Amino acid sequence: MTKRLKLGAVDSRALIKAGGVAGLAQIAAPFVWSARAADTIKVGIIDPFTGVYAAVAQNELIGVKYAVEQINAKGGVLGRPIELLVEDSANDVGTGVQKARKLIERDGIQFLIGDVNSGIALAIAQVSNEKKVLHIVSGGHTDGITGKDCHWNVYRVCNTTKMEANSVAELLFNKYGKKWHFITPDYAFGHTLQEAAQADLKKFGGTVTGNELTPLGTTDFSAYLIKARAANPDVLLVLPQGLDMVNCLKQVAQFGIDKQIHVAGLQQELESLEAMPPEARVGIWMFEWYWKQPGVPGVEKFVADIRQRSGGKVPTARTWFGYTSMMSYALVANQAKTLDGVTLAKALGNFELPPEVKLQPNKCYYRAGDHQLMTSAFVGEALTKPAGDPEDLFKVDTVIPGDKTSPPESETGCTLQWPA
Amino acid sequence: MKQLLKLEPRRKVAALAAIWAALMAAPFWMPLLGGYTALGTRVLVLGLAAMSVNFLLGFTGVLSFGHAAWFGIGAYGCGMILKYIALSTPLGILAGTLAGGIAGAVLGALIVRRRGVYFAMVTIAFGQVFYYIAFQWSSVTGGDDGLRPFYRQPLHLGVATLDILNNAVAFYYFVLVCFALAVAAMAFILRSPFGRTMLAIRENERRARFLGIPVELHIWIAFTLSCFFMAYAGSLYALVNNFADPRGLHYSQSGDFVMMAVMGGMRSFWGPLLGAVVFVVFQDYVSSITINWQIFIGFLFVLVVLFFPRGILGAIRRTVVAS
Repeated sequence: MTKRLKLGAVDSRALIKAGGVAGLAQIAAPFVWSARAADTIKVGIIDPFTGVYAAVAQNELIGVKYAVEQINAKGGVLGRPIELLVEDSANDVGTGVQKARKLIERDGIQFLIGDVNSGIALAIAQVSNEKKVLHIVSGGHTDGITGKDCHWNVYRVCNTTKMEANSVAELLFNKYGKKWHFITPDYAFGHTLQEAAQADLKKFGGTVTGNELTPLGTTDFSAYLIKARAANPDVLLVLPQGLDMVNCLKQVAQFGIDKQIHVAGLQQELESLEAMPPEARVGIWMFEWYWKQPGVPGVEKFVADIRQRSGGKVPTARTWFGYTSMMSYALVANQAKTLDGVTLAKALGNFELPPEVKLQPNKCYYRAGDHQLMTSAFVGEALTKPAGDPEDLFKVDTVIPGDKTSPPESETGCTLQWPA
Repeated sequence: MKQLLKLEPRRKVAALAAIWAALMAAPFWMPLLGGYTALGTRVLVLGLAAMSVNFLLGFTGVLSFGHAAWFGIGAYGCGMILKYIALSTPLGILAGTLAGGIAGAVLGALIVRRRGVYFAMVTIAFGQVFYYIAFQWSSVTGGDDGLRPFYRQPLHLGVATLDILNNAVAFYYFVLVCFALAVAAMAFILRSPFGRTMLAIRENERRARFLGIPVELHIWIAFTLSCFFMAYAGSLYALVNNFADPRGLHYSQSGDFVMMAVMGGMRSFWGPLLGAVVFVVFQDYVSSITINWQIFIGFLFVLVVLFFPRGILGAIRRTVVAS
């Protein structure tokens, strides 16, 4: 053994080691260079780029990157270019918190965007609040973020769960019927959705024929669907998310229930519709933003620009969330002429988005009392057969302004505590 | 060979001194390499968890794939004390450790009669039970959104108050002290006759049985101790994040711990800590560069398993001894 080593021959193990060292050097390099130009304004985004939300997170990033490009082309923020730092939360709270600390403590970011996962959004909002960094939650829907867990430094672009329920409920009731049956995933998010929709229904004077609680990961919905059909409601509300939703809708179509009862749900996303088999694309839903808005200024250019940057894919609600979050920061900082977190957070209250950012017909502004963006709900029907463009999978019926879908500030449970 | 044995203690002392010096000075040298204090804190906590898994895997020879459950119970226990009962960090840690350890002791009694793959399957099953409890019981655990809000509380040491909430370096040293206590306890147990018996069981269970050692009882005690250490690490993790979430109990988290232990070097005492360093630091840097970071970690894991079955530390050791 020793003799062989003394011969100086390069054995396979040495080669592997050398390869390993060379490989590590590739990765090690970037963080040694971390002393970068100091005159950029650093902005961080934390999103689950790996895991179940990878697709929507990726679209959000495309939107953020596009916004950074636009901002820098127009001279940046206070004359300084934006430098975007992207971190993967891996859909794990511990990792997300870690990345938030890394971005704030080590990289010294001025502004934070993220996360799609509500739990991580809440957790990193605690960190940004502790460090007094302005933070826009771009994609976590749970009510608490702009409700009882609100913070002075945290704003939100996407809708709350309550807003989603409210937007669909009125249209369903007026247009499709008073007797509703629910299929609800049996965990906190599902219960919140169901309770919100049921409260609306009671308010209008309708009745609930039943509520089927389905465990997470249900593949066979036939028993629930047969029960629902037997109850003979006007509307069947399908609330499961992700793969559960796809399975449920597929079986709805197989049983022909969509021909007898109006099938509906609350929030729906283009990413999900695209991933579904065509026969599952049924029902009345709410989109948080839709790319086809004839006559609304700026939308066509936005769609065309995003298509160039995403390999031909149209922007989704998530792309718009990312774009709007980033643009909001640049606009408000340039208007207030400062980077101070508290001043900017105050200035963002009641801040109205200009047409080239809001990209929707109604007024769109951040509410000062709970920091929620009053953005429109696009209610309409999912299309089994795309209308023209293969990505046109949704027909918008009505666009309801955010003030109408959102509960009043006094009912959100949010009390903002500003730093002394 | 004789010379080697004489060398061994001195070398061991030197290695130990180096490890502790590196850990104690971490807040000072890490920023120079592009790290940050919070990263060091996370490495310590996950390293302790991986060492707890290894206490069972490397020294008793049974593989648990559900250890995240005890980790998560520790985190929830600690968080719930801080949220609902008392604003005291030590009480939180104590409660979290006891909750996870006792749950482990009770269920361990049901698990220890199984061996090999059956043992691993049963631990996954029990682990998932706790995952779903945390996920579904929203009114108490916060469900999918996680348990919050709670914050680690400043330590009142009689003469002075240590602000571990806002001072990242102070918190690092607090975690380091907690880590040192647990590691000392672990080393003490492994050096005791009981620890030697664990090794005997690992090496040859049948022979141990013939020698009259109550094997099931010993495995149960080792399992329970490992659960206590795990829950202790979990309650520290809750303090690191000021948050507890159901994914901390999921079997994929258990998988990460096993991966750290195996990558760093199971059977060696410090190996899992090295594994945690590699895993956490690697994830931290590579995931900033590419979203495909998991491929690199997976590749590294495969390399280690194929070429260095005793892990990274095992490979280093062999090189040192051979030279």
